[in-house]
Amino acid sequence: MNTSAWNILLVDDEVEFVSTLAERLELRGINARVAYDGESALKAVAENEPQVMVLDVMMPGIKGLDVLQRVREEHPKVRVILLTGQGKTRDGIEGMRYGAFAYMMKPLDLEELIRTLREAMSAQEGTPDA
Amino acid sequence: MPEVAQEARFMGAVTALSMHEMQNILAIIRESAGLMGDILKVNARVDFKHRPNMERTLEHISSHVDRGKGLLEATSRLAHSPDDDLLEGCDLTVYARTVALLSERLVRLKGAAVNFSGPSTALPVAVGALRVLMTGYKAVQWAVGGGVKDGVVDLNVQGGQDFHVLSVRPPQGVSPDLEGVAFLGALLDDGKVEWDGTRLRILLPARRQG
Repeated sequence: MNTSAWNILLVDDEVEFVSTLAERLELRGINARVAYDGESALKAVAENEPQVMVLDVMMPGIKGLDVLQRVREEHPKVRVILLTGQGKTRDGIEGMRYGAFAYMMKPLDLEELIRTLREAMSAQEGTPDA
Repeated sequence: MPEVAQEARFMGAVTALSMHEMQNILAIIRESAGLMGDILKVNARVDFKHRPNMERTLEHISSHVDRGKGLLEATSRLAHSPDDDLLEGCDLTVYARTVALLSERLVRLKGAAVNFSGPSTALPVAVGALRVLMTGYKAVQWAVGGGVKDGVVDLNVQGGQDFHVLSVRPPQGVSPDLEGVAFLGALLDDGKVEWDGTRLRILLPARRQG
């Protein structure tokens, strides 16, 4: 799978976290855009629909689960991977009910994230609106 | 529904929020150290005097982030345990593992270590998470009460028909205070505590699914 063609959007209000994560992905040949809140994430999705969105659940302003619901309604092809807190599996399970592709806990394991991105990309290519 | 004091709910809510901040801090430390490691790898041919020190330091950061992650997970579970949906029942496998993580420091201060074993499947019990954590933690505290050296406290979880069992085996050579068994039993409204000569068995009523 050619990772340089991937269109990924990372959304988290922790600027240093999400920008460093984007740099690390870039070093592995994966281009990722970043957004720092729910509102700019929705705008970024509308402007240039990503294949996969990595979305923090707990952000100021529009909450991650609300962003997820909006994206699933308006851009059903976008696969969403949720980032939840340790011990907050409830958020992840609720997110899966709303149509998230997967949920992961912070701090992340980068290799695990890339594996999950790869799976999400395969699902995105295989079943357009699942 | 069992009552939980307002103070416990308040402490849980504030701690949960703080733990969320801690997880963000750990995530930034992990990604920043990871990026430095990536840059060292990309420039593997560029040699400089302190490269081994830097690589070693990055390994330390990574392993301590993992350590913090485990503790963070356990503390978050403790903080969320007074939540309404966890008051009447919880997964014994998850919360026994949480007891093991939370009691690591206590046991180490007594000169011992704690070892957890159990199934990978859920064992739902009809006892609230906070109660399971408190009873399990106090059972570990009881098991190392006299102080030990180089011993291991074994925490084990097993499923049963009517009861699921959390057992706590004190380190070898330690004779626990048997009066404490009654005290631990009194912490549970449902369920019972038994001492079988080698380990303490905390029997918690299994929760029927569906």
